[in-house]
Amino acid sequence: MVTTVQNELIARSPLRILEKSISGGLGRGNIGVLASRKGVGKTACLVHIAVDKLFQGKPVIHVSYASLVDHIQNWYEDVFKEIARLPRMKAAVEIHDEVIGRRVIMNFKQDGARTEQVLRSIEAMIVHGQFPAETVIVDGYDFAPGGPEDLAKFKDFAGRLGLEVWFSGSLRGEEPLFDEQGVPRELRAHLDGIDVLISLQHHGDHVHFNLVKDHGRLAPKDLRLRLDPTTLLIAREK
Amino acid sequence: MATAIDRMRNIGISAHIDSGKTTLTERILFYCKKIHRIHEVKGKDGAGATMDYMELERERGITITSAATNVTWADHSVNIIDTPGHVDFTIEVERSLRVLDSAILVLCSVGGVQSQTITVDRQLRRYNVPFIAFINKLDRIGANPYKVRDKIAEKLGHNAVLMQVPIGLESQHQGVVDLVSMKAYYFDGDDGEVVRVEEVPAELRSEAEKRREELVDAASMFSDELMAAALDGRATEAMLYAAVRKGTIARKLMPVFMGSAYRNKGVQPLLDGVVRYLPDPSEVEATAVDLDAGGREVKLVADPAAKTVALAFKLEDGPYGQLTYVRVYQGGLHRGDEIVNTRSGQKIKVGRLVRMHADTMVDISGAVAGDIVALFGVECASGDTFAAAGLNLALSSIHVPDPVISLAVAPADNTAADRMAKALNRFTKEDPTFRSHVDPESGQTIIQGMGELHLDVYLERMKREYRAEVQTGKPQVAYREAISQRVDFDYTHKKQTGGAGQYARVIGTLEPFPKGGFEFANEVKGGRIPREFIPSCEKGFRASLRKGQVIGFPVIGVKVVLTDGQAHAVDSSDIAFQTAAQGAFRQTYPKAKPQILEPIMKVSVEGPSEFAGAVFGSISQRRGLIVSSIEDGTFARVDAEVPLSEMFGYSTILRSLTQGKAEFTMEFLRYGKVPPYVAEALIAEHQERLKKGSGK
Repeated sequence: MVTTVQNELIARSPLRILEKSISGGLGRGNIGVLASRKGVGKTACLVHIAVDKLFQGKPVIHVSYASLVDHIQNWYEDVFKEIARLPRMKAAVEIHDEVIGRRVIMNFKQDGARTEQVLRSIEAMIVHGQFPAETVIVDGYDFAPGGPEDLAKFKDFAGRLGLEVWFSGSLRGEEPLFDEQGVPRELRAHLDGIDVLISLQHHGDHVHFNLVKDHGRLAPKDLRLRLDPTTLLIAREK
Repeated sequence: MATAIDRMRNIGISAHIDSGKTTLTERILFYCKKIHRIHEVKGKDGAGATMDYMELERERGITITSAATNVTWADHSVNIIDTPGHVDFTIEVERSLRVLDSAILVLCSVGGVQSQTITVDRQLRRYNVPFIAFINKLDRIGANPYKVRDKIAEKLGHNAVLMQVPIGLESQHQGVVDLVSMKAYYFDGDDGEVVRVEEVPAELRSEAEKRREELVDAASMFSDELMAAALDGRATEAMLYAAVRKGTIARKLMPVFMGSAYRNKGVQPLLDGVVRYLPDPSEVEATAVDLDAGGREVKLVADPAAKTVALAFKLEDGPYGQLTYVRVYQGGLHRGDEIVNTRSGQKIKVGRLVRMHADTMVDISGAVAGDIVALFGVECASGDTFAAAGLNLALSSIHVPDPVISLAVAPADNTAADRMAKALNRFTKEDPTFRSHVDPESGQTIIQGMGELHLDVYLERMKREYRAEVQTGKPQVAYREAISQRVDFDYTHKKQTGGAGQYARVIGTLEPFPKGGFEFANEVKGGRIPREFIPSCEKGFRASLRKGQVIGFPVIGVKVVLTDGQAHAVDSSDIAFQTAAQGAFRQTYPKAKPQILEPIMKVSVEGPSEFAGAVFGSISQRRGLIVSSIEDGTFARVDAEVPLSEMFGYSTILRSLTQGKAEFTMEFLRYGKVPPYVAEALIAEHQERLKKGSGK
C-alpha cells in the first residue's frame, strides 16, 4: 500500500527529473549503466534509485559482486535515513521495515560466478522465491572479462523476465576517459547492449550527471542533477 | 598438589555442526592419556565418543551437554569444556563461555566460516574470550586452509595468522610445517601418537618461508624486541612465542593451526599452542556484582589466599547423584569448607569434590582459584554464586532469552506422572531456557523452550533417563498481543452490596510502547488518587497484561499513563483500585486496535548453490522474507526471516529438498505482526477453545 508520505516522496524525488530526461524511465527489458571512476558515488546513486523504487512498492533485487552483505545493508540504511531527514519526510521511519522488506541482496564472487549461474540464481529468486522484482541493481560487475556477449545475456534475461537492470560501470583507464561523444572508452564496445548510459564526473567541488545515451540515441545532455556531497543523495542542480 | 595458576588453562572447543569438534576432543583426551582407545562419533564400535556421554547425543551425533574434563599436557592442567554446536542450545554454549578463559575455534577446511561459526564468534566476542583456530579435515576433498584463513579475516574480521602450513592436502595430507621452529611434523603410530620431527620438505620451503615472514610481521606488532630483532634476522622462537601470546590474549591476533583430527594429524601441536598462547586464569579479568553495595562491580583476584567466590555453571543428574560443576574465581574450595549460596543465603558445607573426565572422576581434597571442579550433594540452581561467609557477591548473571515455543505434555499414567515431575524439576534447574508450568485453566503441564529440537531433546531424555511415558500436544508458538492505537480511558469501579463498599475511578491513556514490555507513568496531580493506591493501579494493569482478549496470549508493548481519578475516604482500597485498573484495561483494550504478534526467527540455510532455488522456494512458502543470498562458487548461504510457526518440521523438508546437503540454523529475532488471514485463523481457534471451555 502506498501511503501519503510515499506519494509525496515519489512526486518530489529528483529521480523524476532523471526519468523525464530518459523518456519516462529506463523501462522493462532495458539495461542502464552509471559510469564513473571508482569512488565518485555510483553505489550511492544505485541505492538511491533502488530506494525510490522500494518507496513505490516495487521490489528490488540488489546484486553485488564485491561488497559484503552488511555493507550493502548499511548503504540502504544510510540513504533511507537521509531521506527521512528531508523536510516533511519524518513519517518515512514508520514504513521502514515494510520498504526495506521489499529488497533482497544477492552477493556473488565474480571470480567464481559465471553470468549464467548468476542469472539462474536471480531467476530462482523471482520464480521459486516468488519475489516479484521489477528492478535489478547490479553493482561491482566487471564489464571487461565477459565482453559484450556477457552483457547481452543480461539484456536477454531482462527482456525475458521484464526487468529493468541498472549497472554500475567502473572506469579505470587513463585519461581521457571519454571520447568526443562523451562515451566512456572502456564501454565503447558494450554500447549496443546499453540502453541508457549516464556518466558521473567531478565538476569543481561536486559530482555532476551527464546523459550519454538515451534509448538508442547518442545525445549528450546535462541532466541538471548532482550528487549531494553530504547526504550522497541525487539532488537537483542548484 | 595444586597446580600453579600459570600452568592452568580453561578452554572451550567451539565449532559449527559437523566440523569435527567431538572427534578433535576425543583425540585430545587420547593424546593426554585420559582414554586408552579412540572411539568415533556415531562410531561403529557402538561406544561413541567419550565426551558425548548422553545416549541421546550418541544417537544424534551431536553434543548437547557441556561436560568439563581435565587433562594434562606439557605439565599444564587443562580443563576442557565441550560446548554444544547446535543453535537451539545456545544457552549451553553461552553458559560454558562464561567460565572459559579461552577457546579453540574449529573450522572445516572445506566449509570454512559457516553460519554457526559466525554465531559462535559473536558469542566469543561478547564474553571477550581469546581463541586460536584449528582448521580441521585437511584430508577432505576440496580442503583449502589458506582460503579458510582468508575467510576468517574477511568474514569475522580477525587478524588470522597461519602458524603452520600443510604438508599435502586431501588424500595426500601427511602433516604440518611449524612456522616458528621451521620443522616438519609427522604423526606416526597406529593412532598418530608418535610425533616425528623432520626438516621442512624442499618443495614447501619457499611457501613456508613466505608464510613465516607474514607471521613475524604480524607478531612484531606486539613486541618491539621482536620487531627490532626481525629487522636484523635475529628473531628467536621465544620472542615469537611471547609476541603471539600477547596478541592472542589481547584478541588482536588469532593463531591458526591445522590438521585432521580424524586422521590423527596436527592435534599435538594444537595442544602446544593451547599452553603456549592461551591465557591462564590470572590473565583474564573476572568481575562480580556486590549485592551489598547496590550492584557495584568488584574485580576478583585469582589468588588462592583470598576469600572464596565460585560459580555453579552446570548441574547434572548422573549415575552418581547430583553433580554441580563450579568454576572457582577467587580463593579456593576444600572439603569441609563452609560457603554460602548468595542467591538463597543458604550455608553449604563442601563435601565430596571431584575432577571430571566425561564419565569417570577422581576425588580431590580441594581446588584453587582458576580451577573447574564438580561438587557432590549441593542443592542449587545453575548460575548460583558460592562465596565465603561475609561476601555477598553475585557473578554477573548469564543473559537468558525468553522461550518462544511451548508444548503441552501429559503423563501416560500415575507412575509416569511422578517421573515426569521429577524430570521437569531437574531440567528446569539445569537449563534456564527450558521452563515448565501448569496452565491454571486447562490444568495441562506446559513446557517451553527455544525451538523444536530443544524440546525434543528433553522429551527424549524424559523417556530414556526417567522412563516417563508422556503424550504431547502440538507445539505452540508463543504469540503475543499488542495495541496499535492510543486510547483514553475513564473507568469507575463501584460496589455497594452491604458491608464495606468499594470505590475507585481511574482516568488516563493506553498507548503503544514500541520498546516492548510494559511502562507505567503516574501523572496524577493534587492527590486525586491517594499516593498509596498508585501501586495498586499499576498492579491492576500489569495483571491485565497476562492474557490478552484477542487470543489469550500475553500483551506486550503497552504504556499506561494515569492522569486522573477519584477516591472515596472509606470505600477506596488497594483491591478497589486494582479492580478499577483491570476494568479500565478490559474496556479500553479492544478500542486500541489490538494485534497478534508472532516470533520471527532469523534463519540461515547453507548448502551447495545448485539448491538455492529450492531453498528460496521453501522460504517463500513459509511466509519468509529472504534478506540475502551469498554465492561463493559452488557454495551458497541464504539468510531469511521466517515466522516460527512456519518452521515446524523444516529440517526434514530441507533434507528432502537438498538430498541432505543443506543445513540450517535459526534463532529468535523479534516479534512481528501476523498477516490478517493468520490472525483470523488464530482467533477462530481461540474462540473454539473458549467454547470447549478448556482454556488456552
